[in-house]
Amino acid sequence: MADDTIKLTVDGQEIEAKPGQTIIQAAQDADVYIPYLCYFPGMKPYGACRMCVVSTEAGGRKGIQASCTTPVAPDMIVETNTEEVADLRRGITDLLMTEHPHGCLTCHRAELCGPQDICQRHVGVTDRCTICPKNERCELKDTVRFMKLDMTSSLNYHRRDLPIHTDDPFYDRDYNLCIVCARCVRACDEVRGDTALSLVSRSGVALVGTSHGTSLLESGCEFCGSCIDACPTGALTERNYKWEKASSRVKTVCANCPVGCEFVMDVNDRNKIVRVSGDLSGEAGHGQACFKGKFGYDYPNHVRRLKYPMVRIDGELQRTTWEVALEAASQGLSQQLPEERGVILSPRGTNEDHYVGQKFARTVLGTNNVDTGLNRSAELLATLAETPGHGTATNPIWGIEQSNCVVVVAGNPTEEQNVLAVPVKKAVRAGASLIVIDPRETELTRYASIWLRPRPGTEITLLGGMARVILDEALENKDFVRDRLDGVDEFKKAIWSFDLMRVSQITGVSEDEIRTAARIYGNGSPASLLHGTDGIVAEDHSDLLAAVMNLALMTGNIGSDGGGVYPLFWGANTQGGNDVGATPNLLPGYRSISSDSHREEMSSATGGTYPRRPGVSVREMAGDGGIKALVVLADGWNPDAAAITSGGLVNPGFLVVSDVFMSDTASRADVVFPAATYAEVSGTITNLERRVQKINPALELRHEEREGWRTLAGLANVMGGSGFEYGSSSEVFEEIRRVVPDYAGLTHARLEGRGIQTPVPDEASRGTEILFVAGESENRLSVVPMAIREPISRRNGEYPFTLGHGRVLMRPEEDIRIVQDERNMNHVERDTWIEIHPEDAADLGVVAGDRVTITAQADGSASPLPETGLIRMSSPHRGFVSVTTLFAEVVTGIQDSDGIDTSPSVRGLPLRQVSLAKAPVLREAGMAAD
Amino acid sequence: MSDGTKPASDELPSSDELRDRSRTALQSQQQPTVTVLSSLIAVQDALHYIPDEAIEETATHMKSTINDVWSVASFYTNFRFTPPGDHTIDVCWGPSCHLNGAQNVMRRVHTELGVEEEGETADGKLTLRYSTCLGACALAPVIAVDHHMKGRMSPDSAAAVVDELKGA
Repeated sequence: MADDTIKLTVDGQEIEAKPGQTIIQAAQDADVYIPYLCYFPGMKPYGACRMCVVSTEAGGRKGIQASCTTPVAPDMIVETNTEEVADLRRGITDLLMTEHPHGCLTCHRAELCGPQDICQRHVGVTDRCTICPKNERCELKDTVRFMKLDMTSSLNYHRRDLPIHTDDPFYDRDYNLCIVCARCVRACDEVRGDTALSLVSRSGVALVGTSHGTSLLESGCEFCGSCIDACPTGALTERNYKWEKASSRVKTVCANCPVGCEFVMDVNDRNKIVRVSGDLSGEAGHGQACFKGKFGYDYPNHVRRLKYPMVRIDGELQRTTWEVALEAASQGLSQQLPEERGVILSPRGTNEDHYVGQKFARTVLGTNNVDTGLNRSAELLATLAETPGHGTATNPIWGIEQSNCVVVVAGNPTEEQNVLAVPVKKAVRAGASLIVIDPRETELTRYASIWLRPRPGTEITLLGGMARVILDEALENKDFVRDRLDGVDEFKKAIWSFDLMRVSQITGVSEDEIRTAARIYGNGSPASLLHGTDGIVAEDHSDLLAAVMNLALMTGNIGSDGGGVYPLFWGANTQGGNDVGATPNLLPGYRSISSDSHREEMSSATGGTYPRRPGVSVREMAGDGGIKALVVLADGWNPDAAAITSGGLVNPGFLVVSDVFMSDTASRADVVFPAATYAEVSGTITNLERRVQKINPALELRHEEREGWRTLAGLANVMGGSGFEYGSSSEVFEEIRRVVPDYAGLTHARLEGRGIQTPVPDEASRGTEILFVAGESENRLSVVPMAIREPISRRNGEYPFTLGHGRVLMRPEEDIRIVQDERNMNHVERDTWIEIHPEDAADLGVVAGDRVTITAQADGSASPLPETGLIRMSSPHRGFVSVTTLFAEVVTGIQDSDGIDTSPSVRGLPLRQVSLAKAPVLREAGMAAD
Repeated sequence: MSDGTKPASDELPSSDELRDRSRTALQSQQQPTVTVLSSLIAVQDALHYIPDEAIEETATHMKSTINDVWSVASFYTNFRFTPPGDHTIDVCWGPSCHLNGAQNVMRRVHTELGVEEEGETADGKLTLRYSTCLGACALAPVIAVDHHMKGRMSPDSAAAVVDELKGA
C-alpha cells in the first residue's frame, strides 16, 4: 500500500497528516494548539467563529485561512501564532465578547477573586465568571486567556436579559451566556440526528432555540446531553450538582445498557459523582451518552445506600457483621437440594462477578441454575452459539454507519440501547434505507423508508416471506451462497412454502410492502440487521434468530464492513455473562454443560465438579421454577420493568440479596449484603459488539460494601468451596482468560484506557472487529430450513385485544400542551389516541373521536397505560390496538420519581392483552380533569 | 405554545381547521422540488400567515422537525406568524419620502390607527408596515394600501385614507 500521509510544516515543525484531514485536526494530532470555538471533534467543519485562523502557504499561495475548514496539502507551511494571526484573532474575540459577560475573562485577577469580592473594575456580580457553573471547565475562558486580550475594549457588552430556562428535566439553559457557536445545534442535528434545537432568527439576534421557544419535551429532545457536553460556555449545564467542582476525573464505562459508552466521571472532594460526560476518544460510544448514562449516575451517591450486612431476625432485617451474614446465608442455602438453589447475577455486574457467580453456583451450590438478571432470551444465545459459532453481534456498533440498509426487527434501540441508534440515524442521514419491522411505533419508525407492521407474533413468517422474495427475484449474493453456505438446498425447498399471498394473510402486511422491503434489503448490501425479542414469546426466540440469520446469510450480509447482525441485548453485561458462562446452558467459553469432556476441562482448570443437569433461566428462577433458595445480585435489576416477573421477585423460601439500596427485591430477603456499584469497582465489562472494557473505580467505598465477586467468593469460602481465594478482580480475570479462549489475550493492564473486541486468542492479537470475514478461516456457515406458521392466538375471552405500546420523541401532528406543575417544571398534556381496526370499532360500537377505557390483563409486569383514550381508525389488524406515548412522559416520570436508581425502572414496551369499553360521555370540564 | 399575540378577532379558525388548510396547501404544491421553504411559502400564500399548526404540519410533511422548520421560518422577515389585518397599509420611510415629510405622515398614521409600532390594530382589522422603499420616489411621500400606491401624502390625506379604510 502506498504511503498516503501528507507532510506539512506547522510552526517550523514537520508533521504528518492523513489525507482529508483539516489543518486543525492535523495540528491537534501533533499536539499543536490552535484556539477554536465552533469546531468540535466529530462534527463537520463549520467555520463560523474564525477563531482558528492560521497563516498558510501552499503551492506559492499565501493567505490567512480558517484551519477548521482548510484541508492539509503537501508541503504546506502553517504558522499558527504570528503577530498578524494573533491580531486578527484578538479582533474577532473582541467582537464575540460583546455578547458574553467578559469582565473576568480578560482580567488577570480572575483566579484570585471570590464571588462576592469588591471588584475594582465594577464587573457586576451576575456577570462574573466566579458565579458561572462552568467556571472551572469553561472552554471560552481557556480560549480567551490564550489570546491575551486587553482588559479594555472599545466595544460595549450587551446583556441579552433573557429568562433562564429551568423548567425542563435535567437541563438548565441560560442563553445570556451563549456565543452562538452552534455546537449544540450541530450535536443534536449532525451527531444525534434529532434536531431538537436549531438556530432561530437571523443576523445579530440569531440564537439557539426551539420552535416558538417551546419546551424540550415537545421539541423531540431525547435528553442525551450531547449538547451540554459540546457547549463551550455556561449556557448549557446539567442541573444536578450544577456548581460542583470536580477534584478528580476518572475514565470508566457506563453500565446501564449493552452499548458500554466510555465516560469520564467527575468526582468532587466529598467522594460524590457530580457529573458524567461522554469520552470523545471512546470507541463504543464515540463520546455520546443517553438519558440513562448522562443523568442516571446519582444513585451511588445516595444517602440511603445499604452500608452494612443485614439478616432477618423475628421478621425484621437487622444490622449484623459480614461473618454472621455469610454464615446465615450459607446455612439457608445448605438446607436445599442443589437443583432447588439458584443464582441471579446483576445486569450491571462485571465479567469477574459473572464468572465467580457461575463458578459458585456450579462448584459450590452444585447447580446450573445461574443467569444474568436481564438475559431475557437464553434460547437466543443457545441458537447463536450453535449456528454461527458466537452468540453475539458480528460487527462493531459504528460499522452500522457504513451500511446501505438497516433493518430493525422487534427492538427499540433508541431507548434500550440508545447510542446504538445513533449510527442507525447517521446511516439514514447518509442515504441508507431503514426498514423497521415492529407492530409498535418506535422512534426509529420516523426515519424508516418502510415500516412493516405485522400482526404481533408473525415476524418470523414475515422474514420468511422476505427471504422468498429475495430468492424469487434472484437478489441473493450468489458468490457468498456458493462459497460460504451449507444447507442451501434444504433451505430453498423449505422457503417454497412461503407463498406470498399466505404470508400476507398471516402477517397482515401487504404483498407489495413485503416485496418492497425485500428488494430494499436484497439490493442494499452492505446491510445491518438489528434484532430484538420485544413482543415475541420466549419459545419463538430461536426461530426468530434463525429467520434473521437466514436473511443475512443469503444476501451475504455478514463478515463485511457495514454488513452484520446485531442482537439487541438488554443487560449491560449480558454479552460478558454469556462469554464467561453465567448462563444456565453454557459453561465458560461456550462449553456445553451436556458434554462430559467440556465439564472435565473446566474441572481440571478450576477445581470442583461441574454438574450435568441443565439449569433454568432467570425467568424460571425469578418466577415459578421450583427454586427454594436464591442468591440475587440485584444492582440495576428491576424484574418488573424488564417484564421478567410480575409483581417483583417472590421470596422462594430463602433469599439472599446483595444490593445497593433497600430495593423491592432486597426488602424481601432473608440475608442482605451491601453491594458496591459500578462506580466503585475495578473490573471488566463486555458490550454487545464484544468489546471488553475496563471499569475503573471513581468513588471510594464508604462503609462495608463489597463487589459482587468478593461477596460470592466469601460465601463460597464459608460453604467450603475451593479455588475462591481471589485477592483482587484482576486475579479473577487471570482465571477467566485461562478458561475462556476468546479472552486469552486480555489482561486488566492491556485494557486500561482502551477496550478490545473479542476474540483475542493471544496477547499479540489486537482483537477482532468483524466476525466471519471471508477467507480468514475455514468457517462455513449454515442456513436453517424454516416453516411458515399460523399466527398464535393471543386472544383471551376477557381481554380480546393485543395492545402495542409505542413511544416516540415527537408528534408534530398532534396538539400537545405544555403545562407547569407546582414546582414550575414542564409536563406534557395530550390526548391518548387508540388506534383500532374499523371492524373492531364497529363491534365495540364506537366511532372515531369516541372515548374508551382501557383495562389491561393483570400481568403486573408491563408499563402503565393511560386509562382512557380517543378512538382513531388506523390499526392495520383486527384484534390489534395500539397506543403511542411520548418519550417526554418517561423523562418527566424520572424527574418526578423519588426512586434512588431510576434508569432500570424505565419500563420497556411489551405487548399486552387489554379490553376496551366505550367510556361514558363526560362533559367538557370532566374530560379536562382526567 | 403561545398564541397570546393573536389579535382577538371573532372568527379565528379552529386549530383543526388551520391544520386542514395547511395540509391542503402543503399537498397542492406543484413545483418539482418541494422544500421546507417552498412549503412555508405555500402556507403563507394560502393562509396569509404561518400559524403554529402549519409549522407542525410542515415538519410532518417534510419529515423534518418543528425546530428545523421554525429555524427556516424565523430567518425570513417576510413570513408572519400572526394573522394579518383585512387591509395592509405600507408607509414608506425611504430617503426621498423621509426628506418630503414621511415622519409626519407616519406619526399621523400611528395616531389614527392607535398603534405605536408596525403590526395590527387592536381590533386586528388593519395592518401597518414600514417600507424602506416602495419604488415611487417621484411621488414621495408615498403610502400603499393593499399594494395600491398613493402618492404625495400629507398627514391629513393619510388620515383620510386611514379613515376610509376603517369605514370599509
